[in-house]
Amino acid sequence: MGKTRWLLLVYHLPREPSRHRVAVWRKLKALGALYLQDGVAALPEDAVTREQLEWLQLRVREAGGEATLWEGQPNTQAEDKELVEAFRSSREEAYQAIIAGAERVRRKAELGGGETLLAELGKLEREFRVERRRDYFRAASRKEASEVLKAARQAVREGESPSGKLGTGSGD
Amino acid sequence: MLWATRRGCHVDRTACAWLIKRFVDPEANFAFFKDPEEAPEGAKLFDVAGARLSHHGEDCSFETFLKEYDLQDPVLSEIAEIVHDADLMDEKYGRSESEGLDVIVRGMQLALPDDESLTRHTDALYEGLYTYLGREVL
Repeated sequence: MGKTRWLLLVYHLPREPSRHRVAVWRKLKALGALYLQDGVAALPEDAVTREQLEWLQLRVREAGGEATLWEGQPNTQAEDKELVEAFRSSREEAYQAIIAGAERVRRKAELGGGETLLAELGKLEREFRVERRRDYFRAASRKEASEVLKAARQAVREGESPSGKLGTGSGD
Repeated sequence: MLWATRRGCHVDRTACAWLIKRFVDPEANFAFFKDPEEAPEGAKLFDVAGARLSHHGEDCSFETFLKEYDLQDPVLSEIAEIVHDADLMDEKYGRSESEGLDVIVRGMQLALPDDESLTRHTDALYEGLYTYLGREVL
C-alpha cells in the first residue's frame, strides 16, 4: 500500500491582532486540516487542497506572518496510517450528529410531520455535503449518514403527500 | 496579449479566462505553467500569488478583475458571487449555484486532457450562466 502525499502548512502569525490567527484557524478547520503541532497543519495533497493552502499561505504573509508550504510523506507506513486514521476519526463526530439529526427528522415525519421538517432536513443534507467534501479518507460513518438522510428524505416526502398527511393543516 | 496562470484550473481561473476573452481582451492567448518561474516573458499573470490580478483581502481573482477593469455589470457581479463561494468555500454570499459549479468544473478538469481544452469548454458554461442570469437580473 502506497503512502499518502501530504501538504504541510507551517506558519506563524503575530499574536495581535488575533483576528488573523482566528481566520486562518477557521479556514484550516473548514478544509478539514489537522494540526500536527501548533502552527503546523496537514492535508492530503490534491489540486484543491494545494490551491487552498497556497492562498492561505499568501494570507498569512499579507497579515505580517511567516508561512511555508511543504509536501511530503511520513517516514513509515505506520505513521502514514496513523495520520489517515486521525483524519477519519476527526469527521466521526460530525457524521454522528448528522445521523442523530436525520433520525429525529424521520421520526417526526412518521408521526405526522411539521412545518419545519423540510428546512431541518435541508440543513442536515447541506452539512453532510460539507463533511463529505473534507472527509478525505471515507470515515466509517459516512455511508450510514448518507443512508439515514435518504430515509429521512423519503419519510418527509411521504408525510407531505396529501394521502399521508395527518392533520397538520390550519384546522378549518 | 498573452495571459498566464497556473495549471490545474478550477472555477476562479476558468471564470477569469472567460471574462478576459469576453470583456477584456478578445484576442487573448493563454499559457499555463506549473511553477511561476516558468511563466512566459511579458505575459500578464492572473490568479498567481503576488500578482495584481489575483486574490486580495477577501476577494478571489474574478472579483479583483471586475474592480481592476471597472466592469460594472450587475450580471457579472452575480457571477462573481458564485465564483467566490465556489473558489473560497466560505459561503460568503450563500450562492447555491456554487456547489453545482464546483462539482461540474472539478469533474471537467478530471475528464479533459489539459487546461487549454478545459477553458474552451468552460467558456460555454460561463456564457450560459451569463445569459441565464441576465434574464433574471436585468
